[in-house]
Amino acid sequence: MEHNNISPWIEVVDEAPVEMSARVRLARNLQHVPFPHVQADKEKLDPALSKIEGALSEYQKVPMEMLQFEDKALLVEKYLISPLFTKQGICSYVNDDESVSVMVNEEDHIRIQSMGAGIPIQELYQKAEKVDETLEDAVDYAFDEQYGYLTACPTNTGTGMRASVMLHLPALSLSGKIDRLAVNLGRFGFTLRGIYGEGSVPLGHIYQLSNQLTLGQTEEDIIQNLDELKSQVVEEELETRSRIQENHALEIKDSVHRAFGTLKHAYKMSLKEAAKCLSEVKLGIDLGIIDYEDFKFQKWVQLIQPAFLKMRLNITKRRYRSLEAAVDEERATLLRELSGGK
Amino acid sequence: MKCESCNEREATIHISKGSGLGKTERFLCEQCANASFEDEFSYPDDSFNIHQLLKSLSQQQPKRQERKRQQCETCGSTIESIVHNGKFGCPDCYRTFDRQVPEIITRVQSHQTEHVGKVPKKSQSQIKVKRELEQLKGKLSALVESQEFEQAAVVRDEIKALEEAGGRNGAQ
Repeated sequence: MEHNNISPWIEVVDEAPVEMSARVRLARNLQHVPFPHVQADKEKLDPALSKIEGALSEYQKVPMEMLQFEDKALLVEKYLISPLFTKQGICSYVNDDESVSVMVNEEDHIRIQSMGAGIPIQELYQKAEKVDETLEDAVDYAFDEQYGYLTACPTNTGTGMRASVMLHLPALSLSGKIDRLAVNLGRFGFTLRGIYGEGSVPLGHIYQLSNQLTLGQTEEDIIQNLDELKSQVVEEELETRSRIQENHALEIKDSVHRAFGTLKHAYKMSLKEAAKCLSEVKLGIDLGIIDYEDFKFQKWVQLIQPAFLKMRLNITKRRYRSLEAAVDEERATLLRELSGGK
Repeated sequence: MKCESCNEREATIHISKGSGLGKTERFLCEQCANASFEDEFSYPDDSFNIHQLLKSLSQQQPKRQERKRQQCETCGSTIESIVHNGKFGCPDCYRTFDRQVPEIITRVQSHQTEHVGKVPKKSQSQIKVKRELEQLKGKLSALVESQEFEQAAVVRDEIKALEEAGGRNGAQ
């Protein structure tokens, strides 16, 4: 299995200020079959498994029982599977560029997801819908006229769709405006939260904006609302950035160059520090403080995650005393290589 | 990957329990792994809010004794187990617990009650027939009421034909 590298779809992503990748996922279930968290009657799912496999014959099959802990952790960092899926997932299916995947036996029987960047979210939905239609022909979905697609958790009932977009929001995050913004977005039925780390400030100032409600709106309406709110957040971030630059030009210039220097010259680096440096350099590029064409924020943020680095350690077969220290050292080595340091 | 308990330290220990489909796995850091042996694997998950919401709903409901007896035929869930898990046991629970479901859904979905999005192709024809039947039945009772029996007989035959066709489709 070749999932050791960065997903091909991320390799070709064009960097944009603020907006990163987007994702659409659909939750689907099988008629009259207990949901995955109910232990009894697991065999009721069996007949559907071969039908799903038949319908997804063009996809690469990744059975979970074949994977080691590190392999699973890597798939989580690539967003191909979820942490919950590492525990109870039966099988996932992945397309060639790893932008579309299907999880069987996550919280729902079937989870379809489609990822991409620089593509309209509606198009990502259409890609997921295509898989949905293929599966719909193969198995009988649990669907109710009033409640729509029936899901294990009532927060997904209806469309079963969660559409989200990742945003790099350093200015809103550092200026403290983000909390008020999150509350306002909540009023529209949308959630804004950090994706890495559980602290008050998420790693790399990377946030995810997603719909909270799945009932009473069509898929198209949800996506349109997400698009509009996303544009507003992006605009607010850009405005805040220019205000910060006006008032704190020297401080910004200093921190951007310091971060760049750290990426190029450090010999050990925690995930937190690496994410902070990458975020500051990205901000510096967006503000025109430094010119750095080869900088790939989305790709590098993924490469500095632990499972990716452990994979590199295994490849180089180095001896180390503490795994965490070895990972921190490898992270710095990787960033020196990437940023053209020594 | 982060330790799923503290979410801070790196997960270095993998604990699996049981085998086959009943297998459960956890990825923890050393400290949390040690602590978890004392907790006997109680997984907190993201259903916390729903869990609380459902609990408050179940307490509001009268006639607890009566509801306790109700059990989903497909998965064996009771309203208590649904409250406990923060999740329905199977798709049929939505029908089994049709008295509690509307309140759960409207609370969780911010007062929305009706799906207006995509409908699977297989359900489209069934829903169309169902809606047509409802319309025709309404028309029939109006005709009977106004004593237009000849017209009523025509509508009655239409209903019969539609029901038979629907039954055939459903059996396929």
